[in-house]
Amino acid sequence: MTSLIAPPEASSLPPAPAGSIEERAVRAMLNCTARHGLAKTTVDDVAREAGCARATLYRYFGGKRELVRITVAHEAARIAADIRGAGDAESTLEDAVVAMSVRAARELGEHQALQFVFAFEPELALPHVTFDAGNRFLAGAGAALAPALTRFVTPERAERAGEWLARVVLTHALSPTSPIDLTDEAAARALVREFVLPGLVGDETAANISHAT
Amino acid sequence: MSIGVEPRERVLAATYACVARFGMGKTTVEDVVKESGVSRASIYRLFPGGKDQLLRETVGWEMNRFFASLAEAVYDAPDFASLLEGGLVFAHRSIQEHEVLRKVLDTEPERLLPLITVEQHRVLEFITAFLLPYLEREERAGRVRPGVDLQAAADYVARMILSLIGSPGRWDMDDPDQVHTLVREELLGGILV
Repeated sequence: MTSLIAPPEASSLPPAPAGSIEERAVRAMLNCTARHGLAKTTVDDVAREAGCARATLYRYFGGKRELVRITVAHEAARIAADIRGAGDAESTLEDAVVAMSVRAARELGEHQALQFVFAFEPELALPHVTFDAGNRFLAGAGAALAPALTRFVTPERAERAGEWLARVVLTHALSPTSPIDLTDEAAARALVREFVLPGLVGDETAANISHAT
Repeated sequence: MSIGVEPRERVLAATYACVARFGMGKTTVEDVVKESGVSRASIYRLFPGGKDQLLRETVGWEMNRFFASLAEAVYDAPDFASLLEGGLVFAHRSIQEHEVLRKVLDTEPERLLPLITVEQHRVLEFITAFLLPYLEREERAGRVRPGVDLQAAADYVARMILSLIGSPGRWDMDDPDQVHTLVREELLGGILV
């Protein structure tokens, strides 16, 4: 990570209840975005929300663009770790994939800043998750989720499964017409068991099936 | 524009031509009047929302054309898996070669992508309805896994296909072996025996 995310002064700051400057700035950026959207949020707004001086934010982040970039990176890492954690707590592949799907859908659904942007400023978010950028997003998400699956399948297949899982969640959770509510565990389990999992375990099962026929 | 084509179609085709030439932001209703030969008053009668509605409906119109040509390219595939393989390869190539899409994605993604997303649910319904009879044929041939709900399967496959067409991710759609594995293992592993 860059020095912007972990500036050397951060460690010498008093242990404020809200954490380090960058944590406070990220939290404040998210709060402001959830209320007014990304376009209208200014560095001044974030400084006020974070309870720090505007000059401090400029010193740490340079400006709004970098503040947004770091907020996105921070949230992506936090959400990915959270989803991995949901998978790590389970003892079968099916349970892990179900738990990760549910957690991912809930993270997206309950993320007020993200929901505001997708509802009212889709032009700011969609260019990062569709077409060619969608490939980069899926590769990143796949790599981030894979470690929770390597207990059950080979590393190569875990990456493939991680990417497919990210695709399934993105496709269903962000579609207003999806018949499946992935935040509902029973619905997620039905989808995973019926359609997703047989595709993820792959070769072994596929080989068994072709032997059987 | 040819005489005899209904005005609505002429206006949409003209808007598309203007977007190809000027982009979405710079296209005006006046441009569409000139290009289509349809009067300004008639255009506003057909599209009361003016430029915004014209652009939105033109995106929907071109998406319909795209998926209709995709359906036509694959409709006589011998089975469901071949249908999906052929469809993914055809759609991927069409998107790569779609000059207007490429140009607008490069220059005005913020204008185009929200409209694609708005129109997407109709495309999903179209793909789902298109796929269902092929799945029913597979079921009659005894190739569908027991207990699979065909409507739910068609919806799942349609959503994943739409996602894969835009962003294939790790899959190389120019490699027939990869497309084969993608369709027969990952996509249909739970649906076909």
